[in-house]
Amino acid sequence: MKKTLHLLFAMLVLTSHTVFAQETTVRGVITSSEDGLPIIGATVKVDGTNIAASTDRNGSYEIKVSKGQTLNFSFIGMLSVSRIVGDEPTIDVVLDPDQQSMDEIVVTALGIERNKKNLTYSVQKVSGDDLRASNQGNILNGLQGQIAGAQISSSGGSPGLPTEIILRGSTTLTGDNQPLMIVDGIRVNNSSSNGTVNRVADINPEDIEDISILKGAAAAALYGIDAASGAIIITTKKGKEGVIQIGGSYKAFVETMGRLPRQQGIYTTGTGGTYDESSGSSWGRKFRYDEPIYNNVERFFQTALTHDANLNINGGSEKLQYYVSGGYRNAGSMVPNTEQDKINFLIKGTAQLSSKMSLTASANYIQNNIQEGLGGATAGGWINSILTYPLKYDILNYERPNGEPWYAYIEPEDDGRDARISPMWGVMRNPRNNNVDRFIVNGNLEYKPLDWMTLSYRLGQDYTASKYRTVVTPGTPGDFFEGRVNESNGNSRYVTSIFNATMQKDFLDDFNVALILGGSSDYYESAGLGYQAEDFLVPDIFSPNVVTKDGLILTETLTRRQRYAIYGDLSVSYKNLLTLAVTGRNDWTSTLSPQHRQFYSPSFSGSFTFSELINPDSWYGKLRASYARVGKDAPIYKTNTNLRQVATIGGGFVVDASGGNPDLKPERTSEFEIGTELSFLDRRLNVDLTYYERKSIDMIMTPRVPLPSGYVIMTFNAGSLKNNGVEASVNAIPIKTNDFMWSTTVNAWKNTSKMLEFAGDIVTFKYTNAQLNAGSAATTLDKHVLGIVGTDYKRTEEGYIVVDANGYPVIDGTEKDIGNREPEFNIGWLNKINYKNFNLSFLWDFRFGGDILNASRQRMMSVGTAYDIGQWRDKEFVFNGVVAQEDGSYVKNEKSAVLDYSYFANNYYQVGTNFVEKINWARIRFITLGYNLPQSLASRMGVQRLGLEFSTQNPFVITNYSGGDPEVNSAGPNAGGSGASTMGVDNGAIPLAKSFSFGLNITL
Amino acid sequence: MKRTLKTLSILLAVLFVTSCNDLDLNYNPVQPVTVPSNQRLPAIQANLAYSLYSQARYTSFHSYYLTTRTGNSNAQTDTWNYNNITRMGAWRWHYFDVGSNIAGPAGMMLRAQEDGDNNYIGVGKILLAFSFLGATDVFGDMPFDEAYNGSFNPIYDSQEKIYENVERLLDEGINELQNVGESARSMNALSDVIYAGDYGKWISFAEAVRARLKLHTANFTNGYANLLTTVNTALGGFEDAMFVYPESSVSTWEKNLWGESRPSPEWQFADIRNDLLNTLPTDVLMKALTIDEATQQFDPRLYKLTTPGANNKYLGAQMSIGLNSANTNLPTGTTYQDFANLYNGYWTADNSPYPYMIKEELYFIKAEAAFYLNDMETALAAYKQGIEHNLRRLGVEEGQIINFMGSIRVVQNADDLEISDIMMQKWIALYLQAESWVDVRRYGYGTHAYPDMYYPRFALAEWGGRYIQRFVYDPQTEYVYNPKEIARLGAGARDWIFTPLWWVEKSNLKTP
Repeated sequence: MKKTLHLLFAMLVLTSHTVFAQETTVRGVITSSEDGLPIIGATVKVDGTNIAASTDRNGSYEIKVSKGQTLNFSFIGMLSVSRIVGDEPTIDVVLDPDQQSMDEIVVTALGIERNKKNLTYSVQKVSGDDLRASNQGNILNGLQGQIAGAQISSSGGSPGLPTEIILRGSTTLTGDNQPLMIVDGIRVNNSSSNGTVNRVADINPEDIEDISILKGAAAAALYGIDAASGAIIITTKKGKEGVIQIGGSYKAFVETMGRLPRQQGIYTTGTGGTYDESSGSSWGRKFRYDEPIYNNVERFFQTALTHDANLNINGGSEKLQYYVSGGYRNAGSMVPNTEQDKINFLIKGTAQLSSKMSLTASANYIQNNIQEGLGGATAGGWINSILTYPLKYDILNYERPNGEPWYAYIEPEDDGRDARISPMWGVMRNPRNNNVDRFIVNGNLEYKPLDWMTLSYRLGQDYTASKYRTVVTPGTPGDFFEGRVNESNGNSRYVTSIFNATMQKDFLDDFNVALILGGSSDYYESAGLGYQAEDFLVPDIFSPNVVTKDGLILTETLTRRQRYAIYGDLSVSYKNLLTLAVTGRNDWTSTLSPQHRQFYSPSFSGSFTFSELINPDSWYGKLRASYARVGKDAPIYKTNTNLRQVATIGGGFVVDASGGNPDLKPERTSEFEIGTELSFLDRRLNVDLTYYERKSIDMIMTPRVPLPSGYVIMTFNAGSLKNNGVEASVNAIPIKTNDFMWSTTVNAWKNTSKMLEFAGDIVTFKYTNAQLNAGSAATTLDKHVLGIVGTDYKRTEEGYIVVDANGYPVIDGTEKDIGNREPEFNIGWLNKINYKNFNLSFLWDFRFGGDILNASRQRMMSVGTAYDIGQWRDKEFVFNGVVAQEDGSYVKNEKSAVLDYSYFANNYYQVGTNFVEKINWARIRFITLGYNLPQSLASRMGVQRLGLEFSTQNPFVITNYSGGDPEVNSAGPNAGGSGASTMGVDNGAIPLAKSFSFGLNITL
Repeated sequence: MKRTLKTLSILLAVLFVTSCNDLDLNYNPVQPVTVPSNQRLPAIQANLAYSLYSQARYTSFHSYYLTTRTGNSNAQTDTWNYNNITRMGAWRWHYFDVGSNIAGPAGMMLRAQEDGDNNYIGVGKILLAFSFLGATDVFGDMPFDEAYNGSFNPIYDSQEKIYENVERLLDEGINELQNVGESARSMNALSDVIYAGDYGKWISFAEAVRARLKLHTANFTNGYANLLTTVNTALGGFEDAMFVYPESSVSTWEKNLWGESRPSPEWQFADIRNDLLNTLPTDVLMKALTIDEATQQFDPRLYKLTTPGANNKYLGAQMSIGLNSANTNLPTGTTYQDFANLYNGYWTADNSPYPYMIKEELYFIKAEAAFYLNDMETALAAYKQGIEHNLRRLGVEEGQIINFMGSIRVVQNADDLEISDIMMQKWIALYLQAESWVDVRRYGYGTHAYPDMYYPRFALAEWGGRYIQRFVYDPQTEYVYNPKEIARLGAGARDWIFTPLWWVEKSNLKTP
């Protein structure tokens, strides 16, 4: 196989070769002056010809050359060296680092590569290797702790659940707060429809070269309409000129459950303290000694295995470079009957069409099939049924030997419709499936008519065919006892088309002027066809073919959006000392009425590299400041109202619950950012500090609205909010010797938000998808944005709880802000240690403060399975509080009260503050230990490199949280399209799994 | 070079054009924006049945027909605590599903006006009036003038003003129906599920709604004589206004919401689904339907309104206590099987009709009006008509009807007639209807009208012995968008629902 490939590509390469007479073969090793190590992939080229070679894993090369010719030795980031070929058969070369190009190149908006040195705003880069060290299937999870200012929270430990990323605080109360996702210059789908996985998780981490995070509006300003929440720019690997490299890897993961919520195991089912078999709640008498008590939460989760295999081929000539990769992942889950089957295939090539023109094209096919046993709702609630299942039943007992449901409790008159059954039945028999076929194609034509001018045109499409299906097997208690199948099929595509003209020229020696002019078109379309079929006539075929006509409902959807933009970016640099930049972009969008559909987004920024003034070679110091104002359009089809057919008697049409609003205006975001970058000790200590202040004005929300308006849901400009914060990223290499290197990065950040203004008379706005009895995720005017609203106890001015004459605390009926779900402070601490052939990396993640609304506990409290009920029920307790006297004074409460059912149900359960917990955590996100077999051993095995890897993900978390894992986000990023950020809401969250993995890396 | 540039620019232009679209595509091409009125009315009528149900779901507990099986378990029905609910379904059903489809910014009347279908406008106004009357009787003050004008913080009009507007809508509706235009689109059984386009019946229905409205205020407006005229007018051409469900259907959309399959056609129904399986008949209901407890002789309607429980016994549970063992006065070992099964009665089967208004109500309105006018003979006659009509409706056999009408349960002599006789018989006839809660509140839950009523054991101590008087406004919207009006009304208080409505406040019937 390897030979064939070699031959194939060698033939391609050979076509451009000219063979000379009098050839000799020159060999040698290229090493770096920095560490003395061989340089892999350095280019050796015969001057004036197309003949070239690359160094291999040992830094050695060999090339056929004629005497007297010149060899050029070059490598990225190194100064090139030329040697004239004489008689000697060996030329060893030592390359020195190029201080100039040591400067980090980062990818910025529109895929423009810029030197970080002159950058006027904050951009953070995460390398593909650091991302992969986390061993996360979903790349957003892999970024946790690696970006200062990114709040990343997954919805739970199941492969089909989404992860939310918010840069610099949330910008809207309903809808998507997430940054724009760009892969190789085109916008890609990151939706998480039906609460399934966010679609960027389809991208294979193995294919990623690096990720640039444009956190602020200024950095993303050229994206205009999409820039308000920042942007994540993903660059995939590309082919490199030189020898063919074939790499493969295989990893196996073992996953077990992480931190679980606790339950009481003292009281059995019933109400009012007496045993009642018919009751589903656990407010009965104590278990008798002879009654089994099942720890169902632990019994439910299992140990699962995941396999992940990858293969990639990479190589090419000067004229044609290619990268081909394939990946397969079969992921199990600690949740039974849950698995993921994913195939990735990427082919990417760059062809030098002429000396002035090049074409890069790529095609990425992804198949991602996920089956999940636990299906939540738009408000989460994944394991609520497990948390509340009475402990007297074994959760694993759910079916009879003949496959029919085993009902834990059924009343004699009942056919099963109202019976009680283990949640395991639903998990095993009624899974949800999400099957995705995705095709991302991308082409970029680049033309350099003049050496200071580049014209490029990019056309790309991200096409996703998604099938979402839920089944209810006949015999399942509840609404669909006769069975039901729901399926929605959607084909969505994002078509991006961008034209850019880039001009860069030096003037008067000291000035460099760069100008970008461009235009883009961005089209989105999603066409869907779905059905809902009820009452199966044939009970074991789950298809609309076997239901009666009136049990079938068909729905077609079609959404479209078109946007156009023109933009320009002018930056002027003086001597690497001073850079000033201005950008402007005008957007046109179809989602707003004609009078509001176009808007302008400018940005102004500058940087001052003050280290250039004093001894520039020994250190580096830069100040930067920027201001940007960007606009954002509305969701699709929110400007007018439609009618909808109903299936009631007589049929007919009703007003769609979502009303149109033709007066919608674009949402605006303005952001000011100031920062500094410092670098000392030969770049072994780097510091990046940023302060920002972001205002979102006229933010567009799509919440439930007052019904007297005539609608249930409406989109409108709802108010303004502010986020401000600091981000610090410190990178240091404390130790660096030939054998040993320790590099460490600390990312720390803090964001503070404030709701500045609400439309109309709104003071507190509750999020539709997170209203959980005593507490709701909500935003209150003049308070933090990601708040919690609920009731508290009545308190005296000094803060003492008021207790009534019977000894029970008194509830204050007025709801108020009782929590802030945003952490007060975050630290991610990444360490990388290399010792000879060993490398070790691990990431600590610290979170300080921030509240969780523990609705899981609330839920368990209502049915009597909560841990605290076991501890406190029916005990006497003297509440720490004060009792009001007739004269208006207060005395300390001395009276003891019984903590009975009525107390828990009508008092404790009703008070929001009882379910809000301020939490901290210290956790290890991953530890990865790698070992490369010595070269000699590897070659004996017939490979260039063989690496072994042991890794663990989420091995432990230290936290004061009373529930399961404190990383919670009940409804995911944009629940049902209209939800808000639910980070910090624990509503039956599936705790994160911990896993251990073993991996093998081979390079042929 | 030039050629390359030219080729390139053409290529680019072609590519760009292929990815270009018009910006005017922000309309949904697969959903209509408007349809003729005859395609709107049936859905409005279906929604009205749902809307009435959404009120009755809770009022049937508050008017003591039903109580939960476990007792002390449901916050709203057992403890009268509405403070932690997320949504109040009845608010949405009235304003959006019924009201907005008639008179909202995309309602039926808009197109009816354009098309000259003033018959649909007439029926629309009558239905809107009826829906508003039912809604204000559970909510009290609510937006009327500023409803459907796009405001998110409309002024709440007083209930008194809403009553005036309901009457005005009835007048306007009747007027339209008396002058149906030549060009008006025909209304028939396909487009009018209730009366198949019989305008006369709609006019009588409008008068019946007016009679219901006048009854609520007659006691303090000295309006009984006027009411008697209205109710007689209504009775002249009245036919039951019922939303009829098919005999059998598998579609969850085609079932009565009280039905045994607990239909839940849309997710919005979750908070108002019936839970009759875990619900028991109260002792108040059982006493009302018992002729002689010792001989286990019951009102024949008991067997029509309910079906037999497994043990063929007919116990009654105390309000809010149910089977809650520590507090019940029921015999030891009582289970839910010792009670009547609430499903599959005349009003509680999947295929039961859903009543907007039934003729019995008019007879009892007439009886009550005549009673206070001291016309006891008329009162007795109307009272008896009401009972007999109800027995007949429920399908009681003729022999049994004669027996029952002659039993001690039915007052035979005009001089013996007491208000409690009228009110209790009306209460049985209007089994599960929200209108019963209006009567109960008008009489202040008093035993002079409802002899077997008592204060529920598990109503929270903090209510201080007060009876529930109203629903809360929808917490998810009204309390968020309209805090000023909520504050003005005092609706933010934990005990807001114990504040009497206007016609309760004014009522002089609360004490004997």
